[in-house]
Amino acid sequence: MLTNQLEVSMYRYNPEQDEFPYMKKYKIEKPARDIMVLDLLHLLKEEDESISYRRSCREGVCGSDGMNINGKNGLACITPISSVMKKNKIELRPLPGLPVIRDLVVDMTEFYAQYEKIKPFLQNNTTAPEQERLQSPEDRDKLDGLYECILCACCSTSCPSFWWNPDKFVGPAALLQAYRFIADSRDLETVERLDALSDPFSVYRCHGIMNCVSVCPKGLNPNKAIGEIKSMLLKSKKNIITSDGTN
Amino acid sequence: MKGSIIWFVQRYSSLAILAYFLYIVFYLVGASGSYYDWVSFIASIEMKAITSLISILIISHAFIGLWTVGTDYLTKRTLGFLSPALSKKAESIQFLYQLVFILCGLLYLASILYIIWKI
Repeated sequence: MLTNQLEVSMYRYNPEQDEFPYMKKYKIEKPARDIMVLDLLHLLKEEDESISYRRSCREGVCGSDGMNINGKNGLACITPISSVMKKNKIELRPLPGLPVIRDLVVDMTEFYAQYEKIKPFLQNNTTAPEQERLQSPEDRDKLDGLYECILCACCSTSCPSFWWNPDKFVGPAALLQAYRFIADSRDLETVERLDALSDPFSVYRCHGIMNCVSVCPKGLNPNKAIGEIKSMLLKSKKNIITSDGTN
Repeated sequence: MKGSIIWFVQRYSSLAILAYFLYIVFYLVGASGSYYDWVSFIASIEMKAITSLISILIISHAFIGLWTVGTDYLTKRTLGFLSPALSKKAESIQFLYQLVFILCGLLYLASILYIIWKI
C-alpha cells in the first residue's frame, strides 16, 4: 500500500440487503492536513453514498456521531485521524452493545430507557420563588463535571455490565445524570432517587473497570459519580439531609 | 434484596476469610507439625464455632460471585452471541446453573460442618 493512501475498514450492514454485517475496505488518498474522523466519513460518503452514520453539530456538542474508532469509542467530529490512525489504517464500527439499525447507526432505545428511569429533571414540590431557585456558589460547584454530559453513549456502550444487562444496569451515562440531580441542592427527592437505585443491578453492577472514564469525549468521570452514589446508598438514610434541612 | 446488603456481605466476608486464613497460617508457622497438635487446635469449641462461621461466609461469598457471573454471562443477550436457540433458553440455563452451585455449596457446607463437629 502506498504511504499516501489511507485504508478505512468500515462496518457495513443494511438489513434490507445483507443477511449478515461485514467489514468493507475503502482506500482514499491521505488528506494533506489532519482532519477529523467525521470529515473522513464525508469524503467516503462522496465515494459511496450508501454509507450511513449520524451527525449534527460537528463540534462535540450534540453527541450524535459516537462510534467505535480503532477499538475505542469516541465522537467522530472531535477525533483527529492522526490520533487514531495505526499504520495508515482506521477501523470504524458502530457503538458496541446496541442493536445496529444500519452501518454506524445504532438503536439507542435501551440507552434512553435507562436515562428516563433516573428521572432527569429537578424535583422540588415547594412553592417556586418569584424568579428562580437560588444556589450558593459552593452548591453550584458540586454540579461541575456532571452537567456537561452530552449523552453520546460512548461510556455506556463501552461498559461490559451495560452490554450484558442493558435493561437492568442503568449504565455510566444515566448514573452520572442521576448523581447530577442527587448532588443538586435544589432537588428534594434524594432519598427517593437513591431508593430507586438500591437494587443489586442499577448501580451495584458497576465493577469499576473505568472504561467509561477512558472513553468520555468530554473528559468526565462517571465512575466517580457512581462511587458517590454507592457511598450514599451504604450510609444510613438518616444521614442524608435534603436542602431544606429535613431528613 | 438490597444491593448494599450484597455489597456488605461480599466485602466483609472477604475480610473475615482473610483474617481466618492468616490466623491458620500464623498457627502453622509456629506449630510442631504433629497430627495430635493439629487435632487439639481444631477440636476446641471456639475453633469449631469460628470455622463453622467462616465456612458459611465462604459459601455466601462464593454464592454472590457465582450469581454475578451467571447474571452477567448467562443472559439472553450474552448467550445470543453463541446461538439464537441458546438465547431463548437463557432463563432455564441460568436457573440450572444457580441450582447446581447452590446444591454444591450446601453439600460443601454440610460436609465441612459434619467433619468439624465430628472431631
